[in-house]
Amino acid sequence: MKKLGHKTIIIGIGNNGRQDDGLGWSFLDLINEDELPFDLEYRYQLQIEDAELISKYDNVIFVDACKTEIEEGYDLYPCLPADNYSFSTHALSPETILYITNELYNINPNAQILAIHGINYELEIGLSSIASKNLKRAYKYFKDKIASKYFVLTKNY
Amino acid sequence: MSNRKLVIEPVTRVEGHGKVTIKLDENGKVEDAFLHIVEFRGFEKFIQGHPYWEAPVLVQRLCGICPVSHHLAAAKAIDQLVGIDPDSLSPIATKLRRLLHYGQIFQSHALHFFYLASPDLLFGVDAPAEKRNVVAVATENKELAKKGILMRKFGQEIIKALAGKKIHGILAVPGGVHKTFMPEERDYFLDGKEIPNIDTMIEWSKEIVDFMKSYHAENAKWIDSFARYPSNHLSLVHKETGALELYDGRLRSIDARGKELMNIADIEYSYHFKEAVEPWSYLKFPYMKEYGRENGWNRVGPLARINTCTHINTPLAEAERKIFKAYTKDFPNNMTMHTHWARLIEMLHCAELMKELLLDDDIMGNDLVRKGTTRNKGIGIIEAPRGTLIHEYHTDDKGLITKCNLIVSTTHNNEAMNRGVRSVAKEVLSEKPEITEPMLNQIEIAIRAYDPCLSCATHALGQMPLIVRLEDYQGNIIDEKVRS
Repeated sequence: MKKLGHKTIIIGIGNNGRQDDGLGWSFLDLINEDELPFDLEYRYQLQIEDAELISKYDNVIFVDACKTEIEEGYDLYPCLPADNYSFSTHALSPETILYITNELYNINPNAQILAIHGINYELEIGLSSIASKNLKRAYKYFKDKIASKYFVLTKNY
Repeated sequence: MSNRKLVIEPVTRVEGHGKVTIKLDENGKVEDAFLHIVEFRGFEKFIQGHPYWEAPVLVQRLCGICPVSHHLAAAKAIDQLVGIDPDSLSPIATKLRRLLHYGQIFQSHALHFFYLASPDLLFGVDAPAEKRNVVAVATENKELAKKGILMRKFGQEIIKALAGKKIHGILAVPGGVHKTFMPEERDYFLDGKEIPNIDTMIEWSKEIVDFMKSYHAENAKWIDSFARYPSNHLSLVHKETGALELYDGRLRSIDARGKELMNIADIEYSYHFKEAVEPWSYLKFPYMKEYGRENGWNRVGPLARINTCTHINTPLAEAERKIFKAYTKDFPNNMTMHTHWARLIEMLHCAELMKELLLDDDIMGNDLVRKGTTRNKGIGIIEAPRGTLIHEYHTDDKGLITKCNLIVSTTHNNEAMNRGVRSVAKEVLSEKPEITEPMLNQIEIAIRAYDPCLSCATHALGQMPLIVRLEDYQGNIIDEKVRS
């Protein structure tokens, strides 16, 4: 049963059966190995019930693979609520989930998106070498960041 | 106006990827309409050569919405390969599997009603496309949305408690289950401290059925007539009593007026069914051999189940079934949009069944696995949320799968969905000077009533932009719209 242990939840989005699409999950695996004090959730895609889940937290970080090339190989940026939902599917973006959390529960958690660049998305298990390198960089950056007293998500997590 | 062809691709707010082609003649009259299932199918083939015990784990990967159904249908078949028929499974294992199954149907029905169907019902078929989605439902009907979220969550938590995770977890093993329920797990669903408890689920399920009845009363003309056509109805029923049965029973089919067409042991299905193919779809068309391709097809799913059963063995759902049946004077209900109503009665039934099992101390017992004499053939049939689901496996003497046949609910409903598309196309599109987006949405609504899982039916992955294509009779594109 889910016990809400921490004030920050990190949601890894993706599918490790699709090569670099598994970056979000791999990131959570690293946190698990290091036993960092966050609640973790693995998702193939975000759905509306995740709005209820994140309403229980002060902070949320969405970690996902991205196809756009990034100089550092990763990017951590604020996630702001937006009702930019897709017409045709019930899979929702982090911004939309945040918007629904705000609408339904009148709560607006501090949210960020960690995008990690991947290049291969075919039906195969295993990250590409570029994605693996970007994952290591992103994770090092994240660990350095949470150790910093200036990092907003480190407050009381 | 020249002959032309309208294409809706893909159909939206269904699971998977399909497209609809509507052929108009030179006067703009609908000549014909087809639902094409264009995903590729491969599971039956690539499971060959794998050990039989992998089937319940592998085959559930067909789907992210109803993996539990595939897991359990495969498990029932694999039980037979280790010599265990459904009646020989330990009562504890049976109860745990049933609890998992009811949790799955409960969450799947909640997903369909709140996320996929309710935008059409709440905002109307001609509401702007950008409004017909779950986010608009959530923002404009907050209390309904909150309940929908928590009802789906309850079912998913049941699945997680039993199978380890919400999607693609594992409970069943050959001849039983690998885990029992712990007292603290049971308390989680009963005490209401962390999530609303099972009594609240029953109460909310009843509220949603009441909502549907009110909605029907206000919109009876449309709901009763939309995509209405006669059909046979097929489902499992209880072996002795004929009651609604979701996990294990006999296969019963009735015609549109209630005459019984078939009542057989489930494992005899292959002697009674054939599958036809059409060049324009990867999805097959199952039918009862005895009645032929034209007359032997069935609807499956909630509407069919409420039609074929003699009663429901939980009190609140049975009371609702009686009201539902009274509307058609006890004759089978052939009104496609009443599938939503039937689905909600089943949701209430599953909530009642979950309560019965959660209060049963057997679910914390330890007689979990049994073994018998191995065989080379196993057939597992259950009622998945969308209808009758059939798994059949053959193995060699080393236990490697040599043959697999899957007939999923959406495949049974293939002919029914095509009839629905044709019926609505002729009703709303014929001889209209302009084809509007709400008209196209009505075609999709006829399909959506079946809650089809096209990924299950053909087993594919893919992205789903929507392409609406207008072609002349030679296939030349004269108009195209894309939405994503």
